[in-house]
Amino acid sequence: MDDTPDRPDTRDAEFARDALPFMDDVYRFANSLTRNPADAEDLVQETYLRAYRSWHTFQPGSDARRWLFTICRNAFLRSREKLRHEVEVDDSNAETLAAVQAHAEMRQDGSDQILSRVDLAPALTHALDELAEPFRSTVILVDVEDQSYDAASEVLGVPVGTVRSRLFRGRRQLQEKLREYARDAGFASVAVAKEHDDA
Amino acid sequence: MPNETSTLDCRSAMQQLWDYVDCELTTQRMEAVRRHLANCSHCLPHAQFAERFISALHETKDDCGCPGEVRAKVMAKLREAGLKLS
Repeated sequence: MDDTPDRPDTRDAEFARDALPFMDDVYRFANSLTRNPADAEDLVQETYLRAYRSWHTFQPGSDARRWLFTICRNAFLRSREKLRHEVEVDDSNAETLAAVQAHAEMRQDGSDQILSRVDLAPALTHALDELAEPFRSTVILVDVEDQSYDAASEVLGVPVGTVRSRLFRGRRQLQEKLREYARDAGFASVAVAKEHDDA
Repeated sequence: MPNETSTLDCRSAMQQLWDYVDCELTTQRMEAVRRHLANCSHCLPHAQFAERFISALHETKDDCGCPGEVRAKVMAKLREAGLKLS
């Protein structure tokens, strides 16, 4: 019996094997774009329907997750009629140095200890929710979904330099939120008290 | 752009810090930054903090997967579109 890849049942099996396992990843990315669970749900549905209908265009062996992210972003832009050409300041070196400075300040008040002392996932998830676009989707793609700068550039449709700039600025903003969280959790005062005891 | 020599000053090393922890530098630059960090007690804590921060961000992945009811709706839509699973 002929078993060519074009047979619908084979096609469906390949789609199930290669595309469906990434629904968690697509949902996270959709959530980062829409900032709203109901819209994220619609976007995930739209992404998978488009992916299923376009499955014949998927290159076997290529990165299905990146392909799904790209469909998701394009579907989001179409639904929101977002401006595709955004003017941004691209100064990633300054952002990196600002992040280093932010860490130096965290070390001074002791709030950097929070990274090694408590489970940060809830605080960081909340901080990510508050992060503005386009920084959030970039941080999600690179730091949560492990996409390279090149892959994120392809998914987001922006140059690699813009990915770096957005990523570094997003990380710096997250560090600032983390510092606030550390202060609220009493880490800064603990450090100050310790310094006092040591003196 | 930062220079690509094997000896970096602290400013150059810190400008490349995020690229370094993301392994996005060339082999030569990765080595130059690694060598600088190994010998610089000022920059090393920044790199360690950056790595812990990225690691903590990555761990949020476990906190926000696709809810079961959303997954079920997506599968229902796909079946309506013709998807057949054995």
